[in-house]
Amino acid sequence: MEIKTLEIKTFTSEPLRLIDENGKPLFDFIPEDFGLSDEFLVKMYKDILLTREIDRMGWILVRQGKAAFYISIGGQETAHVASLYALEKDDFVMPFYRTVPALHVRGANIKEIFAQTMGKDVDPLKGRQMPGHFGKKDINTFVLGSPVGLGHTVAMGVAMGIKYRRENRVIISYGGEGSTSEGHFHSAMNFAGVFRLPLIIFIVNNQYAISVPRKKQTASETIAIKAKAYGIEGYFIDGNDALITYLVTKKCVEEARVNKKPFLIEALTYRFDPHSSADDDRKYRSKEEVEEWKKKDGILRMRKFLEYIGLWDEQKEMNYRKEIEEKLNEVVEEIEKRGLPEPKDMFYEVYVNTPWYLEEEYMELNNELQEE
Amino acid sequence: MKMTLGEAIRNALDIKLSEDERVLIFGEDVGKKGGVFTITEGLQKKYGEDRVFDTPLDENGILGMATGLALYGLRPIAEIQFVDFIWPGFDVIISDIAKERFRSGAQFSVPLVIRSPYGGGVKGGLYHSQSPEAIFAHIPGLKVVIPSNPYDAKGLLISAVEDEDPVIFLEPKKIYFAFKEEVPEEKYKVPIGKAKIVKQGKDITVISYGYMIHECKKAVEELEKEGISCELIDLRTIIPFDGEIILNSVAKTGRLMIVIEAPKINSFASEISAFIAERAIYYLDAPIIRITGWDTPFPYALEHLYMPNVKRIKKGAKKLMEGF
Repeated sequence: MEIKTLEIKTFTSEPLRLIDENGKPLFDFIPEDFGLSDEFLVKMYKDILLTREIDRMGWILVRQGKAAFYISIGGQETAHVASLYALEKDDFVMPFYRTVPALHVRGANIKEIFAQTMGKDVDPLKGRQMPGHFGKKDINTFVLGSPVGLGHTVAMGVAMGIKYRRENRVIISYGGEGSTSEGHFHSAMNFAGVFRLPLIIFIVNNQYAISVPRKKQTASETIAIKAKAYGIEGYFIDGNDALITYLVTKKCVEEARVNKKPFLIEALTYRFDPHSSADDDRKYRSKEEVEEWKKKDGILRMRKFLEYIGLWDEQKEMNYRKEIEEKLNEVVEEIEKRGLPEPKDMFYEVYVNTPWYLEEEYMELNNELQEE
Repeated sequence: MKMTLGEAIRNALDIKLSEDERVLIFGEDVGKKGGVFTITEGLQKKYGEDRVFDTPLDENGILGMATGLALYGLRPIAEIQFVDFIWPGFDVIISDIAKERFRSGAQFSVPLVIRSPYGGGVKGGLYHSQSPEAIFAHIPGLKVVIPSNPYDAKGLLISAVEDEDPVIFLEPKKIYFAFKEEVPEEKYKVPIGKAKIVKQGKDITVISYGYMIHECKKAVEELEKEGISCELIDLRTIIPFDGEIILNSVAKTGRLMIVIEAPKINSFASEISAFIAERAIYYLDAPIIRITGWDTPFPYALEHLYMPNVKRIKKGAKKLMEGF
């Protein structure tokens, strides 16, 4: 069967989409037309659902006092998972904090993600960072810092490395729409445009940067159109539509890989939860607005679509939810028993060769610990 | 071979470019022009535009690029045209470069060098003259290196490029081409973290670095004739600084003077003072003296009154000899 090429327009005013809010195709197509197999679609849906459940567990850990803080992907799972699906194993990911619960798609060990959330000794970051900052070298996923937008600039440098070594890889850098106001976004876009770098900046536009709405973030018609001034192609897509998100990201990734050129993708979505466990979103948006967007949930849409084409049903949903619930409970139970990271490492991992004063400071702390 | 400090730096860059294909050099005007101070002159022609290249006028982009390249496994050397212009990229330095190893549980690291001319004495006014080494020294995870002569400049820069951790390499622009010294043509390294005794002495320990070493040398020579024997130490590395050499010297002389160009408050001179006050106050025969730039922004017309000079250093030494 011939695979049809989807016509994907740049710089649209309305987000591109393939399925409507009730999960119905917007025109007459079947997923196979675009090379999407049944197996692929079901797997992607399951991963989106798993991401939601990992996220719910994060909130539970905060409420139980087992994590000091939580920052959520709730509502934005589809945009993250479907775009991560467009990458190859060798490609790089520069996550932002909301990407973290979706990193199992890259092969991240869920135990390690929860160890990071709870700051346990089996955290690959050794308990150094707040929850939501996970990254892992063996899955080509960098460790992020908290300053918004910083990852874009650094990802641009990684893309320069890929180009220098003439490798067939790309890097995708995630950020919220707020990150496009930072100088880092400008630096990354400007350099990527000038040097023609295999960089995809993927903006998860959840319409709020903590409390500041999208309209107060920029007067630009869309975020995607910002790419134009940098000589970069920009795409505005419905981030709650898994199919368009996957297909557009895939197109950009493959073109970036072959032609060494950057792309900007803006995925429109919505944050269901407060910015973080330290935020109260009732102060700046109505309950009605949140409820309205919950009806447009990407998970719901994908489920309805799969049901519509006969790949999913209530029984399958129940079975899968039960399976992941058991799995997550088991993982959390195991990780919460773990101890704290080793204090010594904190001093010995600032530099490769630890300076004399850090050795002295460690001795000072260690003596105090011995006295206790 | 006789070389200036600037030529010695160019020579070090040349050596690293030739022996390690991971080394890339970039910044504003470093390509065709060879840098505003001609430090990278000829390198693009010799190694190609893939290895030595110009960037857009954006220090944040330059430093972000360096960080990404280092994460990727290369050995970038970024030039910031004047260290006074580094601040748009400070977030990259403080939030990523300095913390990459620590924050990732040592999964990642960013071995890179940021080269930048610093310091006064060239009538550069507020924004072509500053000495911000203490600002970088305050950030755990960075190394800060300042050479004072051609031999050290070459050896320290080669060490910096080969270091597994990020190094801020500040070059005293006033003496880029001020004098020539014998510098071996072959590769050699000067270790980071080790100070050097420039001149032995018994009465006063003088700690300095960068261009100020030369003002100190002149002052120390004159003082010697006047019967005051100074031990002059070139710190060379600001962080991690060589505490041992300072401590040993102060234990011997009992008097400490620190001479730097930067403003006094919260300067690295303050750190050295505190270090000695904490560990060796019982050796001291006089209060510690800091000879520094004034706590004002760096002035243009009155530059000669701002920077420490032989007169101020000598005056400090005489005060030290008065004791408590």
